[in-house]
Amino acid sequence: MGIGPSTKETSLHHFRDPLLDVVSSDEDLDLMGIILVGTPQDNEDKLLVGERAAVWAEAMRADGAILSTDGWGNSDVDFANTVEQLAKRGIPATGLKFSGTVGRFVVTNDYLGGILDINKSKEGVETNVLGENSVTELDARKVTARLKLEMRKRQKTAISSMPK
Amino acid sequence: MEKDLRRLVIKAFHVTEVLEGEENRVTADGKLSINREVLKNILKNYPLLEKLDVQIIPPDGRDRYTNTIMDVIPVSTKVLGKLGEGITHTLTGVYFFLTGVDVNGKQAHEFGSSEGNLKDQVCFGRAGTPGEEDFILSFDVVLKAGMGQEREGVLAAHRACDEYIQIFREQMKKFRGDKCTERHEYHDIVRPGKKRVVIIKQVAGQGAMYDTSLFAKEPSGTAGGHSIIDMGNMPILVTPNEYRDGIIRSMQ
Repeated sequence: MGIGPSTKETSLHHFRDPLLDVVSSDEDLDLMGIILVGTPQDNEDKLLVGERAAVWAEAMRADGAILSTDGWGNSDVDFANTVEQLAKRGIPATGLKFSGTVGRFVVTNDYLGGILDINKSKEGVETNVLGENSVTELDARKVTARLKLEMRKRQKTAISSMPK
Repeated sequence: MEKDLRRLVIKAFHVTEVLEGEENRVTADGKLSINREVLKNILKNYPLLEKLDVQIIPPDGRDRYTNTIMDVIPVSTKVLGKLGEGITHTLTGVYFFLTGVDVNGKQAHEFGSSEGNLKDQVCFGRAGTPGEEDFILSFDVVLKAGMGQEREGVLAAHRACDEYIQIFREQMKKFRGDKCTERHEYHDIVRPGKKRVVIIKQVAGQGAMYDTSLFAKEPSGTAGGHSIIDMGNMPILVTPNEYRDGIIRSMQ
């Protein structure tokens, strides 16, 4: 498994990516940059690149991260690991990924609650229709709102655990 | 206080007429013509490819067969500065489809393919697909046997298409900026005191039809690009303006 036509992000999609538009124009957020991370074949390498991405985020002192992928299946290993690595470093993360009925996470952990499904097909499948299940502005708004909520929760917990 | 790091201006030139003609030419007032003669010369550079073709698909001509769509590519070029800053010219109203099949009829795809009737195989109007009123230039590649699943074959198809698009890019560099139909200005901005966030995009990096190219010389181009596979799939940091200036060429 990998990337089918319906979720695939074309070069045109990257050129006018709705996720970037929404996050960069949100005046409550300071978008520091975009980390592009690949999806190696080897399992050890999958864990390595996700950890390196989380180290980047930590070094940048990120308050939060939004993940996005147009692949599913074995690349879920990479995705779930990156979320976990961020969580271990205390960085709240939300994300966008195709799940539907056929693309649910092939691996799971305790930190995937903020990952939203970008499926738009009736049956929840890879329809082979180019762009059908791709990220839209609405998806981008939802995942950004969710991150803001997670960051606020984190802040409240931090305040309430401070010594009186 | 917000801090402005850099500015990117994207000027769009809307194409309203796409025709076959004596040469490959695009003008600032929105006329584009294609001529297939040049494809013979381009093909000579790519031994893994068997045949190249380019077809005009007008908005009302989508009830027709298409091979699997490997990519949708905007036609953009740098006029001033490097990717992520300065000035970019881009065309609206027309987008390239790179489609591919090998000599035995095997479609060039990785997981799932989109060949079939064009009007049914594309969800038009998404960020990554043309709108209802746009022209499509279908750059159709026939690869040598089995090459649609081999990394070098797929790369050759992308490069051949890029070489053809470059003809138009060179002409667009000379467009007078004030003739543009849309002007967009983007700033990389620091917002001190606001929540610091990062977007992490997980991109394809496993092989043929599952690759991502970065840092090409031209927006959404291939020439000069580096494959994420060759960079060990390691995380790479880009600025918002670099990203929206087409620093990623999708090769899956």
